[in-house]
Amino acid sequence: MEDTSVVQLHQNKPEDECPNLSLRPLDVSDIDAFMVWATDEKVARFCTWEPYTNKEDGLSFIKNTVLPHPWLRAICVDDRPIGAISVTSNSGNDKCRGELGYVLASKYWGRGIATKAVGMVAETIFDEWPHLERLEALVDVENLGSQRVLEKAGFQREGVLRKYVVLKGRSRDRVMFSLLSTDHRPT
Amino acid sequence: MEIDLSKISLRPFKLEDADDFFLFAGDDQFTMNLRWKTLTSKQEALDHIKDVCIPHPWRRSICIDDRSIGFVSIFPFSGEEDKFKANFGIGVAVKYWGQGIATRAAKMAVSQFFVDFPEVVRLEAYVDVENLGSQRVVEKAGFQKEGVLRKYAYVKGKLRDLVLYSFLSTDFQAEAEGCLP
Repeated sequence: MEDTSVVQLHQNKPEDECPNLSLRPLDVSDIDAFMVWATDEKVARFCTWEPYTNKEDGLSFIKNTVLPHPWLRAICVDDRPIGAISVTSNSGNDKCRGELGYVLASKYWGRGIATKAVGMVAETIFDEWPHLERLEALVDVENLGSQRVLEKAGFQREGVLRKYVVLKGRSRDRVMFSLLSTDHRPT
Repeated sequence: MEIDLSKISLRPFKLEDADDFFLFAGDDQFTMNLRWKTLTSKQEALDHIKDVCIPHPWRRSICIDDRSIGFVSIFPFSGEEDKFKANFGIGVAVKYWGQGIATRAAKMAVSQFFVDFPEVVRLEAYVDVENLGSQRVVEKAGFQKEGVLRKYAYVKGKLRDLVLYSFLSTDFQAEAEGCLP
């Protein structure tokens, strides 16, 4: 007699919904994909920028900020950009440190994509930049989703920095996270 | 040598402080946790006062009976995005350690600074994890410990873990109104 309860032998994990994730440079030809997340106020909420309203501004951003950036990649599903991830570099006494940032189109939130992309960066950045000892990220205290991404990616929460930034005219507290080249990174 | 803390005062540096400046800043123990190199001559002290202390946006000599025994510096960040923040640093001559002088000077400096720079909202102090003396100074002066930033920066060629402290202009107002101890 057949069991009436159905047992799923291969439970779909959220990560499996978008298995074909890759990182590659972002270019002016990606402008339409860029505008999808850049115009979204949900995406811009904790960012320093206001949602974009026209393509010219988007193209300026790609030409002036993206192309010369020390390390910026498009997060792609099936080679289509759905977000971006970047690491800043510093010089002199601060060269041990790089700051991680990422954005993802809101339709792709909640599926572990950002966590996976952060993991991919953590796997390569310390090899690409041997002088890098510390990858840090500053997340708004109210941005719980992004805090979870970093925790799942193996970052350590170091503390809350009060009124650390002024964002759109208001002081914001930020949570500081870090991943060291010597930390164990989840594969 | 017990110092009466009411004799502590803060004032801008003068070229005439060079001899006293060389006395404390010529000591390796004094400069250990600073980015400065230990001064090796009175001429270097004179140059440092002329080129760094006097043009500085907010640096004060810590004085006993108007003689310089240390410094306190508050440096607002540059740029539109960061000018609401400033960095705090302090140093007292080694022979005067352990008497509450740095703590007193820090409290006086913070009070005066928020009056002089009303646009600054957040004062930060980065202290080496191993520098327990300075951690006590900033804590007793009312800074709040926010966390330990691992392998944050190089100081004198060595990668350091730094404890980050902050003092907000709103902390200062609350203290002034008697809401905080």
